[in-house]
Amino acid sequence: MDADNNKMLATKAQTLFHPIGFFQSMLSQLTLSQSMPRLLLVVLAALALVACGDRESNIEAGNREQILHWGNGSEPQELDPHIVTGVPEHHIIVALLEGLVAKDPATLEPIPAAAERWEINAEGTVYTFYLRENARWSNGDPVTAEDFVWSWWRGLQPSLGNLYNYMYFPILNAEAYATGKLDDFEPVGVKALDAHTLQVTLANPTPYFLQLLDHYSMFPVHRATIEQFGNPAERGSRWTRAGNFVGNGPFVLSQWDLNRVVAVTKNPNYWDATQVKLKGIRFYPTENASTEERMFRAGQLHVTGSLPSDKIAVYKDKAPEHLRISPYLGTYFYRINTTVPQLKDKRVRRALAMSIDRKQIVERITKGGQIPAYAFTPTNTLGYTAEDGFNFDPEAARALLAEAGYPNGEGFPTTEILYNTSEGHRKLAVAVQQMWKRELNIDITLNNQDWKVYLDSESSGNFQISRAGWIGDYVDPNTFLDMWIKDGGNNRTGWSDPRYDDLVLNKSPAAAVREERYRHFREAEAILLDELPIIPVYFYTSVHLTHHSVKGMPGNLLDYALYKRIYLQAGE
Amino acid sequence: MSSPGSTDIATNLNAEVHDAEQGTSLWQDAWHRLRKNKMALAGLFVLILLSLLALLTPWIAPYGYEDQDLLLGPTPPSAAHWLGTDTLGRDLLTRILYGGRVSLAVGFIATAVALVIGVLYGTIAGYLGGRVDATMMRLVDILYALPFMIFIILLMVIFGRNILLLFFAIGAVEWLTMARIVRGQVQSLRQQEFVEAAVSLGLSPWRIMRRHLIPNALGPVIVYTTLTIPNVMLLEAFLSFLGLGIQPPQSSWGVLISYGVETMEEYPWLLIFPGLVLSITLFALNFLGDGLRDALDPRASKD
Repeated sequence: MDADNNKMLATKAQTLFHPIGFFQSMLSQLTLSQSMPRLLLVVLAALALVACGDRESNIEAGNREQILHWGNGSEPQELDPHIVTGVPEHHIIVALLEGLVAKDPATLEPIPAAAERWEINAEGTVYTFYLRENARWSNGDPVTAEDFVWSWWRGLQPSLGNLYNYMYFPILNAEAYATGKLDDFEPVGVKALDAHTLQVTLANPTPYFLQLLDHYSMFPVHRATIEQFGNPAERGSRWTRAGNFVGNGPFVLSQWDLNRVVAVTKNPNYWDATQVKLKGIRFYPTENASTEERMFRAGQLHVTGSLPSDKIAVYKDKAPEHLRISPYLGTYFYRINTTVPQLKDKRVRRALAMSIDRKQIVERITKGGQIPAYAFTPTNTLGYTAEDGFNFDPEAARALLAEAGYPNGEGFPTTEILYNTSEGHRKLAVAVQQMWKRELNIDITLNNQDWKVYLDSESSGNFQISRAGWIGDYVDPNTFLDMWIKDGGNNRTGWSDPRYDDLVLNKSPAAAVREERYRHFREAEAILLDELPIIPVYFYTSVHLTHHSVKGMPGNLLDYALYKRIYLQAGE
Repeated sequence: MSSPGSTDIATNLNAEVHDAEQGTSLWQDAWHRLRKNKMALAGLFVLILLSLLALLTPWIAPYGYEDQDLLLGPTPPSAAHWLGTDTLGRDLLTRILYGGRVSLAVGFIATAVALVIGVLYGTIAGYLGGRVDATMMRLVDILYALPFMIFIILLMVIFGRNILLLFFAIGAVEWLTMARIVRGQVQSLRQQEFVEAAVSLGLSPWRIMRRHLIPNALGPVIVYTTLTIPNVMLLEAFLSFLGLGIQPPQSSWGVLISYGVETMEEYPWLLIFPGLVLSITLFALNFLGDGLRDALDPRASKD
C-alpha cells in the first residue's frame, strides 16, 4: 500500500491561519485605538473562553462510550476497495468490509473471517472456502459465494482501473481477463459451488495466497448497492458515501465529512457482533503530525498516525508508556520517472542513489530507529534478504554522472522532487536536495501536493522524482517485487525489464521449494537494484502514540489492527 | 486636452497658491512634520536598516542559507551560531537574513503593485463617476467574489511557479480594497471647492487627479498600505505552505515562523527569533504609517 506518513492541508491551513489572525488582531488593536480598557476587555473575554473549554475530552468520553478516536493521517482518496491504494484508506475499509480470512494481530497467521473454514488440495492450487451461513451485509442480506465471484469480477474490470488488480493474478486466468486477452469471465478460477461454498483455482501454488485475501482489493462489495448507484465497472460512483455504503464488516459508515472526520458505528448485523466491543470509531484526517501530537496531548485522539521525529526523544524521556515504535514491513524510497530525458540513463539514477547519506538521514532526521536501505525488500522478510545493490559512495557517483555526460553536474537540467505535504517528507527532501547539490552539483526543486493530488500526479506520470513509501500488503517478498512488473498499477516509473517480469511472474511462482523461489527473487531484485528506477532510502519503523486505555492492539510487522478485538479500558 | 496657454496659467496659479500659503511644497512640509515625530523616525530607521541588511545579505550572512550540518542538528544560540540552528543544522541568523529578502520584497513589491493599481483605479472611478464608476466598481465586486486561492492556483498553473509572479499575484488581489477606499475619498473630495476651481480653470482631468485628488486622499491610503504589507508577508507564508509560494530550501519570515510553530516546544528559538523580527518590522511599519498619515494630511493644523 502507498504510505502517506509522516503526514499534513486542512490542518496545515489552520495552524497557519493562527499567526495571520493573531497579527491581524494585534494590528487592529494598534491602529484602532490606544485605549487600554478595550484591550483589557478582549484579553478578559479570551480568558473566559478558555476557562469555559474545560469539558470532557474525546478520550474520556470515548472510554466511557467505547468510541475509538483514531488519527488517520490523510483524507481517504476513496472508500471503494477496488480503487484505493493507500494506507489511510486501509484503516477505514477494514472496519467496513471483511474478506474471506483475516489475520491474527499478534502472529499475523490467517484466521477465519467471512469464511468459516477452508480446504486446500494437495498441490496447493485449489482452495475451497466454506462461508458462514450467518454472515450478513449491513442491510441484512446474506453474504454468499456469489457475492465474492461478482466482487472479484468487478475488481478485474479493465475499465475500473484497479491499480491493485495484480493481487488477483495468482488466480487462474485472472491476468488474461484483466488485460483484456480474455473476454469471458467463465475460465477465471473463481466458482460459487453453492450459496456458501467458494472454489478458487490458482495458476500456480502460491504460499501467500491466504494473506492476499485479507487485502482490501479482494474484499467483497455489495452488488445491489453498487448497481443502484451507477455502472459497477466505472469510477466515481456515490455508493461509498455515508448512508449508501453497505458492507459486511464489523462497522458501518455513519458519517464522512470531507477533511474533518470519517465515523463508523457498530454493525448489528455482523456475524460476530457479540464479540465487537467498540461502539464506533472516528477517523481524523489530520495530515500535520504536530497537530496530531497536540490533539493526542489534549486527549482528542487514542492513537496517532505518526509522530514528528523531533518529538520522539521527548516522549522516550517523558512519556514512554504512550510511545510505540515497532518494526514495520515497509520501504521509504524515491520513485524515478524513467521517461524523463535526464533520468533515462541508469548511470544517472545510480549516481543519485549513491550520493544519499542514509545513515545521517535515519540518525539525524527520522530518528525513529529506521534502517538505511540499500535494497528494496526489507531485510529478512519471511527469511528473505536481498543483496545490497549499491552503497554510499559520492566519489563513484560523480564518476558515473560524468560518464553519463554531466561532469561535475554541468548541463544537468533542474529536476523536481514531488512529495505529499508533510513536514517529515519536506525535511527529508530538503536534506536529499542538499546532498545532491553538494555531492553532484545538480539543482533540485521541491514541490508538495496534498495526498489525493499527489497520488494522481504519480499514477499519471506527471512527476520527475517523487517520494514514495511501500508497505507490504502481506508478509512475503512478493509484495515488494511484483509491483515492478511492466505496466503494474503501482509501478509508475515507466521502467520494465522482460527478464525481471519473467522471474517474478513465471519462474518464482512455479518454483517448488522456498529456496528456489527466493533465488529467483534475489535474481530479480538484483536487476531492479542495478537499474534503480527507484532509490531506496530506509526501511520503516511504525511510530505511534497510543493511549494506555487502548487494549487488544498488539504491535506487529504490518501495523495491522483488528478492530473487533480492540476495547477501551480507562484507569490503571 | 487643454491648450498650452491654459496649462501655464494653471501651473502658475497652483504654485502661487502654495507659495502664498506656506512657502514650502507639500513634501517638504510633510518631511518637516515627520521629523518631529520620534516614533515615526525610529520606525523609518528600523525599516531602512532591515532593507539594507536584506540587500547586503549575500555579503554579510555568516553561512549559506542551504548549508546543512545534519550532525550538528538543532542547537540553541551559541557563539558560532548567534541565533542557533534549525533541525537540519542550518544557521538561523542566515536564514532570517535571506528570509528577509523574500519577505520584504514580497511586502514592498506586492504592496506597491496594489497601491499603483488601486489608487489609479479608485481615483478614475471616483472622479469620473456615473456609468464609468458603476462599471468599474462592479468589476471590483466581481473580482472580490472570486476565491483568492483559485485565482492564485490558476495563475500558477498557467504561468508556472515563479517568485516574481507570486509578488504580482498577491498585488493583483490586494488592490481591490485600496481601490474602494480611494474611490470613496475621491468622491467626497470631488464636491469640494478647490476641485471645482481647478475644473473651472480648465485643468485636464488627469492633472486634477494627480495634483489635487490623490495628494488629498493620501492619508487613508498610507494607513491602509502599512496594514497591507504585513498581511501580504503572511499571505506569502500561507501560499508557500500550500506549495504555491517559495519552495525549500528558500525561506521567508512567514515560512520560518510556520516551521518554528511545529517544533516550538523542543526548539523555541526557531519560533522566537523569526517572530521577533517580523513583529519589529510590523511595529516599525505601523509607527511610520501613523507618522506619515499625520504628516501628509493637508488638513492637519499648521505650525
